[in-house]
Amino acid sequence: MADLEVPNELRREAKEHDMYLHPIDRDTYELFFGPQHMATENFSIILKMDGNRIEKAIVNPGFLHRGFEKLAEGRPYFTNIALLLRICVPESDVPENIYSMAVDEIVGWEVPERAIWIRTTVLEMARVSAWMFWIMGFGNEIGLYTPGQWAAAYRERFMRLYEELTGGRVYHIYTVPGGVRRDIPGDRWLRQLRDTVEYVKGKMKDFDEILFDNYITFERTEGVGVMDKRFALKHAVTGPNLRATGVPYDVRKDDPYYLYDQLDFEVPVLKEGDSLARVLIRRYELEQDLYILEQLLDMGPPSGPYMVQDARLKALPRFKPPKGDAYAHVESTKGDFGAYVVSDGSHKPYRVHVRGPSQSHGVTVLEELLKGARLADVPVILKTLDNCPPDIDR
Amino acid sequence: MDMNEKNVEEKVEESRPELPDTREGRLVKALIEKAPYAEGSVRRERRVEFRVSVERIHEFLELASETFEMLMQISVVDWIKEGEFELVYQLWSVSESVHAFVRTRIPRENAKLPTVMDVWPVAETYEREAHEFFGIIFEGNPRLGPFILEEREYKKHPLRKDFNMLGHVKAIYGEDFDRYDESKTNYVI
Repeated sequence: MADLEVPNELRREAKEHDMYLHPIDRDTYELFFGPQHMATENFSIILKMDGNRIEKAIVNPGFLHRGFEKLAEGRPYFTNIALLLRICVPESDVPENIYSMAVDEIVGWEVPERAIWIRTTVLEMARVSAWMFWIMGFGNEIGLYTPGQWAAAYRERFMRLYEELTGGRVYHIYTVPGGVRRDIPGDRWLRQLRDTVEYVKGKMKDFDEILFDNYITFERTEGVGVMDKRFALKHAVTGPNLRATGVPYDVRKDDPYYLYDQLDFEVPVLKEGDSLARVLIRRYELEQDLYILEQLLDMGPPSGPYMVQDARLKALPRFKPPKGDAYAHVESTKGDFGAYVVSDGSHKPYRVHVRGPSQSHGVTVLEELLKGARLADVPVILKTLDNCPPDIDR
Repeated sequence: MDMNEKNVEEKVEESRPELPDTREGRLVKALIEKAPYAEGSVRRERRVEFRVSVERIHEFLELASETFEMLMQISVVDWIKEGEFELVYQLWSVSESVHAFVRTRIPRENAKLPTVMDVWPVAETYEREAHEFFGIIFEGNPRLGPFILEEREYKKHPLRKDFNMLGHVKAIYGEDFDRYDESKTNYVI
């Protein structure tokens, strides 16, 4: 029960003016949080409130269900790229890559080195731009609007690089089974990428001052939405949320794909498991990602083809992989993103099933963490878990 | 009769391929020794596979959860020609860095399974999804019902292979959904 009492004069006045007075002091009531609320991003939570405290939260997804998995069963393998990447909006390269990796495994293709370098770089660029998107969302939720505007501007630099590389800004439709669709535009693009990475790296100090080392961030996030290691593992929480509870699990280290076993980077781990730990983990990972991009640029793209050489690729719509199935996963900023693809030998996939990280930390975990939280902490918990509704709905 | 029994025994032995002497092979071997009713194999580095009958799936998953801490997904595949659903429990072991597929098959009619919510609480979400898209009933899961879909779509189980997508769209949107091309002969979707 909240300590707040509504004065009797205010009650009387409200009644006279036929106003609805928020029953903040004694009644329990139901509150529909979202889908219009900015923090929830297209899904809603039904909150059973007791004063200012949440008694029970029921997650209500489905506003973004577009039936991608069903549609993918009716389309040829290469067409599905343009469909499945919409499962993760802020980093659309992740669904492209998991699907392509799974199909590569079914067919048994050895993807050329140049394509692997490009894919790794694109994934890391996606991670950095998704961090920028997250800083924007998180800053806005706790009332720090300036870092969000900066982050949006820095994300724009990456989107321009994407536009030059792939032709698309948000949805790139770039990684396809067997390689990538186009080659790097030239050395100028690589120089621009290096400049951008250095520029964002130089701005980390500003982010620290205004957001990560800010009194407001600490006050709002410390001790809010705490989960422990055992709970996180039982609920299959992955990514930064899991690493904030003390488990050093990162797909890039534990199930290395592409060039990650040749790259030198650290997996930051904190053990507190509260919102502050989740914020700080993301800040350290952003730094590591910039460092990885620098390494990749130092390495330079290997020469060679950017697409696998296969006669079957001449008739793309009728391309038929052999029978089989494969599961591929990558580390996205939200966690472990996986895809299970089943082929029955025809030109369309028999089944595509995507494992979105928000399926675990966006439904049961969110409901548990919201129990007993204050209403003002809902956006903080939502944003520090980095919940992404499109991958729950799909 | 004796001959037949011998044949069956031989077949069982033949169907168990030799496990390689790798980290994955030893892991599968240790688990198979505890659960002799399951079939196990190594697919490649960091990918192992188990086949379990539906009667003992809960027992097996409970045993496997000691090594495989996380349940990443429950994927359902509708093999309509065989009249079966295949459930693939995607497990990940944080300590061993191995991904496991645990496969089981159930008939399509009155598909029923025990829930694994008591082993991994996150299974609640996966089972709700599998229930509404395929109509599989997970006994013991209290929240089966409309989750992602609307009420009117929920009973149709749209990810089943015999779901008529075009018919469903026409039934809902009626004449408004007129997607014929200019010659009015071909339907465009």
